[in-house]
Amino acid sequence: MWEFITSFYESTIFVYGLMLLIIYAILAILSFIAIASYVKKNKYFDYDAIVSSPLTPGISVIAPAFNEGLTIISNVKSLLTLNYPVFEVIIVNDGSTDETLQLMIAEFSLIVVEFAYNPKIKTQPVKCIYKSTQAAFSKLIVIDKVNGKSKADASNAGVNVAAYNYFLCTDVDCILDKDTLLKLVEPIMKHNKGRVIATGATLRIANSCDFDGTLITRMRPPKSLIPRFQEIEYIRSFVMGKVGWGYINCVSNVSGGLGLFDKDIAIKAGGYDFLSFGEDMDLITRMCRYSVDNKIKYAICYVPITLCWTEGPSTLKTLMRQRTRWARGLAQIVSSHFSLLFNPRYGKIGMIAFPYIFFFELLAPVIEFLGILYFIFLIYFGLINWHFALLLLVFVYSYAVMISTLAILWDQFTFRYYKTWGEVLRLCLTTFLEFFLFHPFIVIFSIRGYLFFLSRKKHSWGNMERRGFNNTTLSTAK
Amino acid sequence: MDFSYFTDASVAQLLEEFYYSPLIIQIAIFFIFFSVLCILVTYTSILTKRHRGYRLEKKLERINPIIDELILKNIIFNDELNKEVEEGEPANLIPLHDFQKTPFKSAFGKQALINRIISFRKSFKGTIAFYLRQLYIDLELDKQSFNKMKSTKWDKKVVALVELTAMDMSIADVNILPLTNSKNSELRAEARHAYIKLSKNEPFKFFDVVTEPLLMWDQIQLFKIITTTEDIAIPNFARWVTYSTNKSIVSFCLKLIVYYNQVDGIPAVIKLLDTKDHDLRASAINCLGKLKVDEVENKLLDIYGNQTLNCQIEILKAIGRIRSGKSIDFLKYEFLHSSDFDLRKNAARSIISGGTKAQETIQLLLDTATNENLLILKHCMNPLIKF
Amino acid sequence: MQKILYIEDELLMQNIVDKILTREGYEVQVASDGKTGMQKLTENNFDFDLIITDIMMPYANGFEIISKIRNHTSPKKIPIIVVSTIGNEDAILEAFKLGADDFLKKPIMAGELLIRVKRLAGQ
Repeated sequence: MWEFITSFYESTIFVYGLMLLIIYAILAILSFIAIASYVKKNKYFDYDAIVSSPLTPGISVIAPAFNEGLTIISNVKSLLTLNYPVFEVIIVNDGSTDETLQLMIAEFSLIVVEFAYNPKIKTQPVKCIYKSTQAAFSKLIVIDKVNGKSKADASNAGVNVAAYNYFLCTDVDCILDKDTLLKLVEPIMKHNKGRVIATGATLRIANSCDFDGTLITRMRPPKSLIPRFQEIEYIRSFVMGKVGWGYINCVSNVSGGLGLFDKDIAIKAGGYDFLSFGEDMDLITRMCRYSVDNKIKYAICYVPITLCWTEGPSTLKTLMRQRTRWARGLAQIVSSHFSLLFNPRYGKIGMIAFPYIFFFELLAPVIEFLGILYFIFLIYFGLINWHFALLLLVFVYSYAVMISTLAILWDQFTFRYYKTWGEVLRLCLTTFLEFFLFHPFIVIFSIRGYLFFLSRKKHSWGNMERRGFNNTTLSTAK
Repeated sequence: MDFSYFTDASVAQLLEEFYYSPLIIQIAIFFIFFSVLCILVTYTSILTKRHRGYRLEKKLERINPIIDELILKNIIFNDELNKEVEEGEPANLIPLHDFQKTPFKSAFGKQALINRIISFRKSFKGTIAFYLRQLYIDLELDKQSFNKMKSTKWDKKVVALVELTAMDMSIADVNILPLTNSKNSELRAEARHAYIKLSKNEPFKFFDVVTEPLLMWDQIQLFKIITTTEDIAIPNFARWVTYSTNKSIVSFCLKLIVYYNQVDGIPAVIKLLDTKDHDLRASAINCLGKLKVDEVENKLLDIYGNQTLNCQIEILKAIGRIRSGKSIDFLKYEFLHSSDFDLRKNAARSIISGGTKAQETIQLLLDTATNENLLILKHCMNPLIKF
Repeated sequence: MQKILYIEDELLMQNIVDKILTREGYEVQVASDGKTGMQKLTENNFDFDLIITDIMMPYANGFEIISKIRNHTSPKKIPIIVVSTIGNEDAILEAFKLGADDFLKKPIMAGELLIRVKRLAGQ
């Protein structure tokens, strides 16, 4: 009996592991195809045509801000100078307790306007809506609302005010490429297999980059180890993961840091869920469900270029908070949308994307954790064939390093990120350490998140301390 | 199995061990070697890729200023070129020798020249653009572009089409027509754009035959081509509004009717109000509003009751655009009694856009409005709020 | 000599227009983004006979530049020409509302630009 259990367990783990490796290989191939075709198409794509056309659709850029006094002015200015012919910038001041709002009022000469606010999505009450009296800032709208303790609630208020049919959701502290809107709107214009309900792009870690005001002047891989691991992780999960999934229209999440959405569908799907810890993924899941339920042939696209830089947690403690929250969000989403699992009615999302999330994203840390326990158990009873065990370990290790290295190569296909070859090499070599120094923590943090989910621990927001980007060498003189 | 033919005993031993291991271990060992190899190959690819990109950038950095200088000297600041040409005299010639020297003898140099000429033409039209095209032809750079058309790779063909359309070169129908039915959607779209721009006979033939929907991008490209190509004969777009079965062609033609203010097309657009497709109906109403067709106002009011929300909104907007002042009571009624927020807001906006004619009504509404209605009115009257 | 400030982030255009205007005898200063443009304005104490500006640029867009110039209390009104790729009607109207004197859509005719420059800035 005991033998049966162990052999059953071992073979399950074996099949599971094998499938994971195969999926990674497939993703690597898919993302390669997607990137190659993107590069080809971009050789001749004429972005000027979008800028100069009167038919170009407008976009509402929505950025919630909570206590961002340090950087708010330069970030709003940078949003206002995005390259796009028709857009508005909606800043949602989510009940900041610092001088965020006052700074904006002074800088942009804001006044309260009598705005007929129509909450298509229910949110915490909106106190006032401000517009600038300076015509140069006529694109700017500032919403002042009661703190809803979540980015979701603030984003929803922005969506309610948005005038255009598409909205870009970002964080006020994210740094966007100046062509972000042009590059994200391109798939919406060109995709010929259904209505594009959302597009996303790669995010990167901003920690060691040089800025001039809010424009990246020099990209660098983060100098300290924790953010650098995250850079690799982001490259892998966006360039290889999401782009690969995007190629077969199975994207399950468009990151909260940067995403362009079809407003109509987002509103009909109910907007962001303010109770969710993973509100971005939750919204995408509901938008997909809504589309299928209403027989809308939808697509979610990912562009394989970096358009957004965000400050990653630089200490283990902040990283733990972030990852615990993500894991909790994931568990929430899987449990609330469990009926999607292997539901043929929902097509690819039911049969491919959601099962992948369930088995290989949600369960992976658990299985890995149990595997380690089992391993320790075997060692304790001296049942282990060290020779084979080490070989298998080296196998998994080298495979993991290979996938990460490939992701870095794929990433370099679209653009020569970083200035020197040395910086790329440093990033490549970091992949050798990730497996031992970073990955175990991620597993533990995820499990912590699941435990919180199971015990329904009270939500604590964990505001990241931001150091601000302005303290770099080339800081703007005000 | 006998491994003894290996002279090195340790290798033999390892191979033997490999042979007698379980399958899993064999696979694992195989993949370890595979991964290591793959990692090494990846490193070299990154290195060569970056190096190549870097070199290309440097080369372009060197060659582009040279091109700019030569174009300035030989074309823009060439006073000979800008002299008036008398009737019957040969046209002015561009001095070519500078462009035929070393950096431009190679295929790379020629391509750099083509790209730069295209960039110039994106910034300048008129005389400069005319002579740049002349330069492109005189240097026989068009041959390089036409050669790319013969390539088997679709992306090269597209690049060729983009270059040739950017330079206004005519392409023979035999060469381009097959591409317009290509299986590759990118190539197909680009070939159609090129055909409309370059074909001298019946550029709009596609509107009759295309069955697949025009994407937003196609519409943007076509709109640009139709409105900026100089000697294109603008047809009466109402033709497709009446006869086309392709929904996207119809809605695109509605936009063109507005752009060219083709009042002849109004009856065809009015007929479209009877269509079952509510998106098309909304576009038709939008078109009528933008053309300010006031004779259609009563009809719009008649059909208002049984329309979908998006059509109702378009009707309210259209009435605001027509600004006849005839329907002010209707707008007022909608504003006060509609249950939908968007309808009320659009009604208010249209009342306010009535200007002086509606002054009395606006004042009356302001005096008697409930809090919420007052807010909507003020929202619409505030010049700072656009939507 | 008439002084012109040309703010444009596209370098090809910037370089060529600069050369064309210089050849016509204007003293041209160029800036590649809104921030440098503003700096040049303040450094020169708003002493220009004409400003030519693009709309979409990093740091500060053309609208901001125009309103900055119009809000500045200088003894004379500096003429402004906007040269931009934007074809959206609202954007063009906005530029005029803010106080631009002329709007040219790219691609431009060099001859036309020169005539407009001469008209607004003098010979």
